[in-house]
Amino acid sequence: MQSTASLTISNLWIERGERDLCQGLSFSVQSGEIVRILGDNGAGKSSLLKTIAGVFSPLEGKISYVGEDVTFDRSLLQKDAIYLGHSVGVKSLLTVVENLRWYCPDVSLGVLHEVLELLEITNHVDVLVKNLSAGQARRVALARLWLSNKTLWLLDEPFASLDVRGVTLLEQRIQQHVLSGGLVVLTTHHDLLTLSSRDVVLLP
Amino acid sequence: MTYSSFIRSEFLVLWRRKQDIFNALLFFIIVVALFPIGINSSAEFLAPAAAGIVWCAVMLAILMAVEGMFKEDYWDGSLEQWIVSGLSLPLLILLKVIVQWLVVVAPLLVMMPLFSEMLYLPSLSFWVLIMTLLLGSPSLFFIGAVGAALTMSIKQGAVLVMLLILPFYLPVIIFSTLAVKAAEAGLPYSGLLAMLLAMSLLSLVISPLMTAIAVKASVN
Repeated sequence: MQSTASLTISNLWIERGERDLCQGLSFSVQSGEIVRILGDNGAGKSSLLKTIAGVFSPLEGKISYVGEDVTFDRSLLQKDAIYLGHSVGVKSLLTVVENLRWYCPDVSLGVLHEVLELLEITNHVDVLVKNLSAGQARRVALARLWLSNKTLWLLDEPFASLDVRGVTLLEQRIQQHVLSGGLVVLTTHHDLLTLSSRDVVLLP
Repeated sequence: MTYSSFIRSEFLVLWRRKQDIFNALLFFIIVVALFPIGINSSAEFLAPAAAGIVWCAVMLAILMAVEGMFKEDYWDGSLEQWIVSGLSLPLLILLKVIVQWLVVVAPLLVMMPLFSEMLYLPSLSFWVLIMTLLLGSPSLFFIGAVGAALTMSIKQGAVLVMLLILPFYLPVIIFSTLAVKAAEAGLPYSGLLAMLLAMSLLSLVISPLMTAIAVKASVN
């Protein structure tokens, strides 16, 4: 993980299906900061995260990561980032361990089991994800935050379908991450209980 | 995500979905078996038609197997994760198509001796048929991948895929059956095999790039 990283968005303009979203948006995130994207439904919160992650290209504007312009070639940012979207990218036909081994093949089984124990899915290690509940499947996806060593986290509604205990665990992990110099950009409709964040509001 | 963990998970998913592959193979068996039953079971009719029957059935079976290859990845969000993984998207797609090809074509080849006996295929041209399958089928998968990527966000896209990619399958089937016919007549057939190889290599180069563009457009 890089100890001093920064993400700068300048003058970003996203277009989705003929609609302009977040025209002329600028903000920056430094190491140790949590930025929460706020806005009404359809204001473009998810699109913004996807654009930063490199799923879409912006119409105009510049995205810089650790001082490098990554607008056209996002690979520098992608190698150091985790993006979790609405659909979390967990394969329903793989077991919990197989899913995590797919994303984090270098992690030892010991560490994997420790994290699964923390997230309380140890009883379901060899169960296919399609047999888990929505909240449990999300915990499987979120386990990547414990298992990989990336600096920038782009989390789209990470608290959705989590129970109270899950929310507390995740907030603790986010806190730990920013204390060790990480960057977190997230969207959520929940109030953050223990975390303090800087808010960026998207206007329709 | 690394390339090797990607390949491993692709194999695992296909193993868990073996019913789909099995259905495509069963479809192949049914189509081939219908010709002797439905038209004529004599050697005079079947021997010259054997290569054509096998190839038509193979093409339809491959079409069935390929048509939905990105659907699940699209709906569960894995495609987004491929794009943001920092790995090369065309290379990931190439690996996925190769895995699919191995899993579908290997059992087809294993069944082939049985079917060539059933259709009275002259033993002389059996190996030529195997060669055409080995050299020609990769291009069917690569072309099919483009069609599958274009239509993955549509719930009922199967017919659309067929309309889109069937015209591109015709040259492969023409050259394959010509090669087997030439071998039966004792004519040189290496040029026709070379054409099949050329088509497969060309699609190997172009298809992953085009599929990657289609994947990005569908996710958008």
